[in-house]
Formats: sequence, structure tokens, C-alpha cells
Amino acid sequence: MDSDLFEIAHSVKHSGMSYLDTIAAIATAPGEGGVAIIRVSGPDALAVADAVFRCPPPLPSQRRGGTFVFGRVVDVNGAPIDEALLLLMRAPRSYTREDTVEIQCHGGPVVARNILQRVLGVGARAAEPGEFTKRAFLNGRIDLAQAEAVADLIRARSDRAAAAAIQQLAGSLSNEIVIIYESLIEASANVEATLDFSDQEIPPDVLDPVQGKLRATIAALRDLLGSWNEGHLLRDGATVVIAGKPNVGKSTLLNALLGRDRAIVSHVPGTTRDTIEESLVLDGYPIRLVDTAGIRETNCAVEQEGIRRANSELASADVCLYVVDASVGPDDEDRRFMACVQESKLIVVLNKVDLAGAPNKDISTICSLSTVYTSSKIGIGLSELRDAIVRKLSGGLTHSAHHALISTRHRALIEEALQSTLAAAERLEQERGALDIAALQLRDATEAVGRIIGKSYHDELLDSIFGKFCIGK
Amino acid sequence: MKTEFDVIVIGGGHAGYEAALASARMGCRTAMICMDRNAIGRMSCNPSIGGIGKSHIVAEIDALGGEMARNADYTGIQFRTLNRRKGPAVQATRLQCDKEWFPRRIQAVISNTRHLDIIETVAIGIDVVSGRVRGVEVEDGTIIKAKSVVLATGTFLSGKIHVGKTNWAGGRIGEKAAYSLSMSLKKIGFRMGRLKTGTPPRLHKDSLDYDRMEIQPGEYPPPFLSWDARNDWRMFHVEQSDSASAESVPFTAHSAIKFQTQSAESASGDSSVFGRDPIRPWPPGQDQMPCWLTRTNERTHDIIRQHLGDSALYGGMIEGTGVRYCPSIEDKIVKFGHHESHHIFIEPEGRDLVEVYPNGTSNSLPEDVQLRMIRSIVGLERAEFIRPGYAIEYDYSDPTQLSVSLETKEVEGFFMAGQINGTTGYEEAGGQGFVAGVNAALKARGESPVLFGRHDSYLGVMIDDLVTKGVDEPYRMFTSRAEHRLVLRQDNAWIRLADKARSLGIVSDERLRAYDSARAEIDREVERLKSTYRSGVSLWQLLKRPESVYREVEDGLSRVRPEVALQLEIDAKYEGYIARELDRMRRASRPDEIRIPQDIDYKYIASIRIEAREKLSRVRPETLGQASRIPGVNPADVAILSVWLERLRGVG
Repeated sequence: MDSDLFEIAHSVKHSGMSYLDTIAAIATAPGEGGVAIIRVSGPDALAVADAVFRCPPPLPSQRRGGTFVFGRVVDVNGAPIDEALLLLMRAPRSYTREDTVEIQCHGGPVVARNILQRVLGVGARAAEPGEFTKRAFLNGRIDLAQAEAVADLIRARSDRAAAAAIQQLAGSLSNEIVIIYESLIEASANVEATLDFSDQEIPPDVLDPVQGKLRATIAALRDLLGSWNEGHLLRDGATVVIAGKPNVGKSTLLNALLGRDRAIVSHVPGTTRDTIEESLVLDGYPIRLVDTAGIRETNCAVEQEGIRRANSELASADVCLYVVDASVGPDDEDRRFMACVQESKLIVVLNKVDLAGAPNKDISTICSLSTVYTSSKIGIGLSELRDAIVRKLSGGLTHSAHHALISTRHRALIEEALQSTLAAAERLEQERGALDIAALQLRDATEAVGRIIGKSYHDELLDSIFGKFCIGK
Repeated sequence: MKTEFDVIVIGGGHAGYEAALASARMGCRTAMICMDRNAIGRMSCNPSIGGIGKSHIVAEIDALGGEMARNADYTGIQFRTLNRRKGPAVQATRLQCDKEWFPRRIQAVISNTRHLDIIETVAIGIDVVSGRVRGVEVEDGTIIKAKSVVLATGTFLSGKIHVGKTNWAGGRIGEKAAYSLSMSLKKIGFRMGRLKTGTPPRLHKDSLDYDRMEIQPGEYPPPFLSWDARNDWRMFHVEQSDSASAESVPFTAHSAIKFQTQSAESASGDSSVFGRDPIRPWPPGQDQMPCWLTRTNERTHDIIRQHLGDSALYGGMIEGTGVRYCPSIEDKIVKFGHHESHHIFIEPEGRDLVEVYPNGTSNSLPEDVQLRMIRSIVGLERAEFIRPGYAIEYDYSDPTQLSVSLETKEVEGFFMAGQINGTTGYEEAGGQGFVAGVNAALKARGESPVLFGRHDSYLGVMIDDLVTKGVDEPYRMFTSRAEHRLVLRQDNAWIRLADKARSLGIVSDERLRAYDSARAEIDREVERLKSTYRSGVSLWQLLKRPESVYREVEDGLSRVRPEVALQLEIDAKYEGYIARELDRMRRASRPDEIRIPQDIDYKYIASIRIEAREKLSRVRPETLGQASRIPGVNPADVAILSVWLERLRGVG
């Protein structure tokens, strides 16, 4: 049995969840919106609707699934909370495959929260994050890959990430995995046929196509791993670090990018002694923007700690904005620093162009890099900088978001499959002797890929062997 | 005729004799009901034991104290190792046996076995009272009582033989079928289905042109399947190549000696007729006979194509499902028409028999077409038939009605084994027969069954597959069915199953002691190899090298038996892979330890999909692991079931 399912079952058990209770949550994103949705799922969903919702007869629980009715949500005394639309779905024709009602009320956090409180007051339990999806999954509504995509959808913090998650849900990831899976099964079948049937029962060239198949599979797996990088950016957000010597205007730049004051700005060098972190969305990319302490030789302990953190942020950054005071120009220390950052990650920001009469001549020496002239103080060059950041994030990624791998679990499984396939290919190439080990490695690869789409290696292997070969005396 | 026993075994085929011998050797008063005592242990298809995946089962039967391996070794006329260079996990042994002596020896073993009676009659019904078996009703209406009953009727239940468009009722060619018994089972409520298998024509050995075929000799020294034959051989071939070591050969070959003495006393009556001791007709492995290889051609295929309409299989006369991996020659031509030719193996059936077996020509064509088809093959141009090939259709009982002990869930004390469960092959039958016989005996004694699992044996893999997935074609073993193949090897069956063998008490004490001392020897020697260095490298490291063998690596200080040397070589070379597989096995077997109460009502687990609920109710899995392997039950269903079981445990 898949150990992930064991874990899920386990977590279900230990969170005290029971499939027999009814859960509710606000299904729309927090904040001001036109409509808010409160979703209720479980055996008592219809009874909950009867209790909180007033509409012309018949009662909600007497209505057919797949219908909606207009009415009012009322409080415990019968006073209206809001006008609302009630959508009824009967098991198994709902997302969770349980009886489900959705209350669509006017947008705004207060109304939605009040309605949720009311629903919880009549016997529903607040859903845990992702619990609707978990139920959908446990009820066999969606496969593991789809469930994870849904989980990520819930967490996705931007439109673009949401698009990738929706694509995956629709099965584009599954389709690609299925192709890899099938080609691994075929390679396995050829190897297994040579093991389970004696030399004279099968064609002598049965292993010939295996190498080619494995090479193609290795390439496809590497492709998927490449796309994971983008998937990872979309889901977890990209880290953009602002670095530079003290007092070149890093904090001002952060504030300018955010469009509000977050960092304390002063003219005293070393004001920012810790890293400051903010979120923003640039062209659909969720971004973690990190302002670091200025980098310089110092003996102040607090500042040293700040610099240490800055360096560790830099190590994990997706993009580094290195800020240089344009009126002064880069010095050796700047050059040393920039040389340490991967060129594909580095954007040099020549700030304070408003103060420099003309760009310093030294600047020409760094022109081969991505360079943007800005004045964060008076707002020059900010949109160019935003574009440069987006270019860096999307640059180098040849894969479009359409099949971005989403979860870390997928990545680990694909990585495992790749390693096993490489090992099998190598073994097949070197010694045609110990085929049983090559077969084992192919099985590992196939099983890893199969776990993403919930396929069972064993059942399909024999079918594949018998479909291909005339075997048996 | 005695009419009361502990255990009754119906059928004297390979499942039947293993069941009866196991039960009697465990001390239960046992009766074998069969139609003809001279047909016991007959090889109705090809005269061969073992093969890839199958010899694993045979080695396991041997490790536990069954007879098949020994019987094959002592009546073997050709011995070969298969997959020699493909790795130890898939290495296998295949024997050609003497078709005359194989059954003769089994019959002698049976008549030498205490507590075992043969009753020649036809079973017509199973006597069941309130869900428990009480005995077997036979032809004359008598009910023979027993505490447990093993049904091992092979292809005899409603058997129907087809040659071209002609067909008649029969269990094997020249033998009657059993119809009433099948009815009786249906009446009790067993779900039955229909399968088919086939066998090629038999040719006269003097009518073939051997010069035009390729010879396939046996192997020397012969690779044996059984512990006893290996000892026997060593006694007579004391390391001929290395006389210096003769004295230090650790084996006293006690079991072989004892075993010969026994046979000489008891079998004297039967053996005089044939001039050979039926228990040891010749020194095992002596005077091997070759097989021969030829192939079909376009003309052969044309003849088959022209007459497909006359074939029972393609003329629509057969309703049962056939075997994909042992296809009839009609199947080969229809489904793999692009192949220009198919191999045909000419196998001798016995030392003194005129029949040869043209392996690969199983068919159900009319006799005259068969003859033309055979004569179109190189080397067989003047072949004479001894009898034509035929297809046989028979009833099987859906094996998902069995629990892992092979007892039926419906009727307590009633076991089924062999082809009746939808398998094909002597080895698969023998393995089930042994397990069913053992558990029938334990049942009769009021003890709990011995269960085999996917993690300990091919027996376990086979039984789990059968009782969990059922069959839709005759089931044959393959090494790829065993997910822990690297650990479940033929060479270590005696180690894997030593503890079970001890608990059953069939294997002799001295052999158990030999198992123990060999195991201790392995441990000691691993230690020594790891701590002994030669030019800075441990002997163990040296042994790990792909080309190195124990004999060359060890420094002559220690002498181990060949079984031990083999284990050391494999353990060293595969150390990392084996460790990983063991770890995987431990993880995978966890759900197999979670038991499911048999009275659980899946109707009430609403969150499981209806299809899965139906499958679960039908199979009634014994463990969560088994539930997870039922086709149509998806991982989510299993997750829900596991939560449900947790809850039940919490309540209870």
C-alpha cells in the first residue's frame, strides 16, 4: 500500500476527524469581494441548511441535488443575517462526494464570518485547511496528483500559480507522467520477459529497444525536474534579495517597490540591522522581497549578525538586486561581491541617479550585466526594475507554466525515478549479466512514477509482457 | 474399508499426493480418494518439473518436507539450470522426468507412508452440516467421515476433451470426468467457472530424424532440486576434481542413507516386477537424456490457418479461457502471425518409453490435420502419432472463496488445492497441495493454520494472488509475480522456511540440525571473511567482486558446504541490494499485519465506494494488505478502511 495513504489515514485518525461529521468553511479568499461562499459538507449538510436558511417551501433538505434557491440566512432568533443563494449538491454528486451546500452571500469578511459562525452553531465543525480536498480524495473523487494540485490551489498566492495548479488538476501533469510510466512499463516488460522466459521462448533481440526507451525516459524525467523549478517559484514564491553597501538606498528601494513605508529609512549608514521581508506579486509571480543589512566591514555585533543573515539569504535567493550608489560608482568591494553572485541571478541597480550629474564612468565596466538605473527616492526606473526582475524569474526557464510540477513530493518521486532509471540504463549497458538488478531498478523507477498517478506496477507488467511476446512453449 | 479419518484428500494428482503425504506425515489418519491408484502422480502434460519461477516453489516444498523435488530428482532424466547468467534471483532449475518412474516412485512413497490409505472410488459429494465439513460421499452412497477434506481434483470436474469438432467427457485422455462432485459444490454455493488447457500430440521416438534437429544436452554435475538428492550425489561423487578435500566434506549424507534403507525394506514387493527400486530407480542424475530443438515454418502455419475453423478453440466449441503464456499453436499463429517460426522442443518422456513430447504444439485440431501439421516440421517429416493432442475444458472454483490457509470460507474444514483453484502446472498444484494438506491436518488437530505470505515464499505469493485477485486465466508462477524476488530465491528456500519447517515437524530432525548448522556456518563465515585481510583488503571485499567465487577467496582455513558457499557469494555480491529489499519488505508487510475481522459488514462503511464495498464483501480479505491488493479497491478505499479498523479497535 502506498505509504502516503497510510500517512493520510494516520493524520485523519490523529486529528480526531471523523468522516461522519459535517465540516464548514469560507471557500472564498479573505478580503473584499463581490460574493463570499460558505461551503458545508457532510451527512448533516442539508440539516444545517434547513436550520439556518429560510426560503419558500420546500425546505432545502427536500429539494433535489444540483439546484439552487434564493433566500435569507437567519440568526438563532430568526433575524436575517444576509440575503443569499443556496446551492444544493447531493452525494455523490459533489466535490467531496458527500452532501454539500454552498451559501453564496454578499462579499465582505464580516457577513461571511457571521454566517460561518451560525453554521458552526448548528452542528458543523470548522474544516481544517484542505479538508474538503482530503475528503474528496478519501472518497475516491480525485487521484493523488489531483488532490495535491488542489491543496496547492488553496495555497496559491497569485493568479499565475493558480493557473498552473488548475492545469495540473485538469490532468496535464498526469498525462505527462502517464507517458513516462507507460514507457517504463514497456522497458520493464522487455527485461522481465528475458528473466521469466527461457532464451528460446523469446526473440533474441528483445533487449535492443530498451536502451533507447530508457534514454527518452531519462530526458523526459529531466524535463519534468526542470519544470519543477518554475512550479516551485509559482507556489512558494521567488526570493528577491536587495543587497549592497550601507546607505546606497536599499530600504528606500524596498519601500518604492512595495509602494509604502516598511523599512526605517535614515541617512545613518547601517540603519537596517536585520533582514526585512515583504510579499508582493509581480506579473503573477509571488515574491518574497528581502532587504538586507548593508554589507561592510564592521565590529558592531548586532550589525555583524545582520550581515551574516544577509549572506544566508543571498545563498538561497532567486534574484539578487545589488544596489550601487550611481553618484559614487562601484568600488572594489562591490565588484568582489558581484563576482560572487551567479550572473543569472544578479541585477545591478544604479540608484540615486537623481544625485549623479552624469553616470559615473566606472559604471561602464559593469554594463555587460543586467543593469537598471533608478532613483527610488523620486520614482525613476521602477517599472524597468520590475520588468528586469520578471525577466530574471522567467529567464532560463524554457518550460512554460503549463505543466509545471507543483509539489515537493512529486519532485522527490521524479528524482527517485530518474536515479533508478539512470542506474538501470548503466547496468544494461555495461554488463548484460546481472539483469535481475537492472529489473529491480526499473521496477523502482516505475513504482516511483506510478505513485504520482496511483498506478500499480504489478498488474500492468504481465499484461504488457503477454501483449508483446508470444511466450510459452 | 475404513470409513473414518482425520483428513480425506480427493484426488491423486500433484496437489493430491502432496496434501495426503503432508497430512499423514504430520500424524493424521489420512485417506486419499482416487479413481485409479495406478494413476496417482501421473504427469498428464509434459514430463517436466521446475522451470523459471516454478522451481522456486518446488525448492520451497522440499525445504518444508514435501515430496515433489525429491521425486523429480530421483526420476529425472535431464537436469538444467535456467537463467544462469541473469542473476541469482531468477536462476531456476528444470528437469525432464521419466514419465513412467515419476508416478511409480510416488506410489511407492505413498504405500510406504504410515497413516495413509488409498481408497479407489469416485467422490460424488461433500457432506456439509451447518457450515462444517463432515465427510465425503462416494459412488456407492457411503459417507466417509473426516474432520477435514482437501479437494484436489485437477481437471476432472466436468472435464470435457476436444479434438477438432469431436468432444467427450473426460478428466484426462482415457479417464472419466467427475460431474456429480461439481454439482455438489455448486449446490453448497461455490462460484464455479470454466477454464481450458491443452496438450500436444505424442510422437513415437523412432519416427523422428534427430540429425536434422539441434541437440540440447543435460548439465553436469546435475543441478538437483532436493536436499536429499544433493547429499546422495555428494556421497557418490566426493569432489572428484579436488581429491585433497575429500575427507573434509562436511556432509555425512545421513538422511540419504536412512532414506535408502527405508525404501529397500518396504518397497521390495513392488520393485521386483521392474527390476529397479522405485524409490531410487537409478543414482540421481545418472545417464541423462538429451532434448532436441526444431521449429515450425510457413507451411506449418498455412496448414493451421487453413483448418482454424476445424479447431475446437477457433471453431467456437470451447467456452473456457485459455493460457496466454502457454498458448496453443493455433493461438500462436492467430495472435502472432508475423512470426516466421516458433520453437518446438522434442522431449523424451522416459528411459523405456517410446513416446516423445513435441513441446510447443499443443492444439485442438482434428487428428489428421495435427498429423499433417507435425509432419511439416523439420525432423518430424515421418513422425508417427501415439495419440493426438487435445484441449480440455474443466470447472474451477473461484479461489477468492478461500482464505490464506486454503480453507474455504464457506465451509469450515474444507480445503481446495491445485487446478481446481484455477492454476496450471504440477509445481503450482503441488505447492498448494502441501499447504492445504498441512492446514487440513492442523485443523483436524484443532490447531491454527500455518500461513505463507508474500514476504516469505513463492507459495505465499501464489496463494495471496489466488485468494485476493482470483483468476481469469489459468494461473502460472513467474518470478516477476514476486515483488521481493531478490530475497525469495530458490537457493535460500531452506533458510527462508527453516522455522516453518521446524514448526510443521515433517522434515527430519537431522535435516533441521543440518539447516541450523549451515545457518550458523554462514554467520561465522561472514564474520571471518569480514575480519580477515589479504593485502589490506578484507576477504569479504574480495568476494564482493563480480567475478570472484568463494573457493578462490577463502584461504583454505575453513571448509563450508556448497549450500553455504553459495549463500556467502550471493550475500557478498548483493549485500546492498538485499539490505534495501529487506527494508522495503518490512515496510510493505506492515499492512499485512493489520487483521480485518471476518464479520465486518462493508455495507455500513459508507465512505468506501460501492464497487469497492462489493469487492471487499466478496473477497473478505483477512488483512489490510490483502484488501489493498484486491482489484477494484483503490488506495482511498483502503485508507478509509484502515481508519475504520482503527476506530473498531478503539471501540473494542
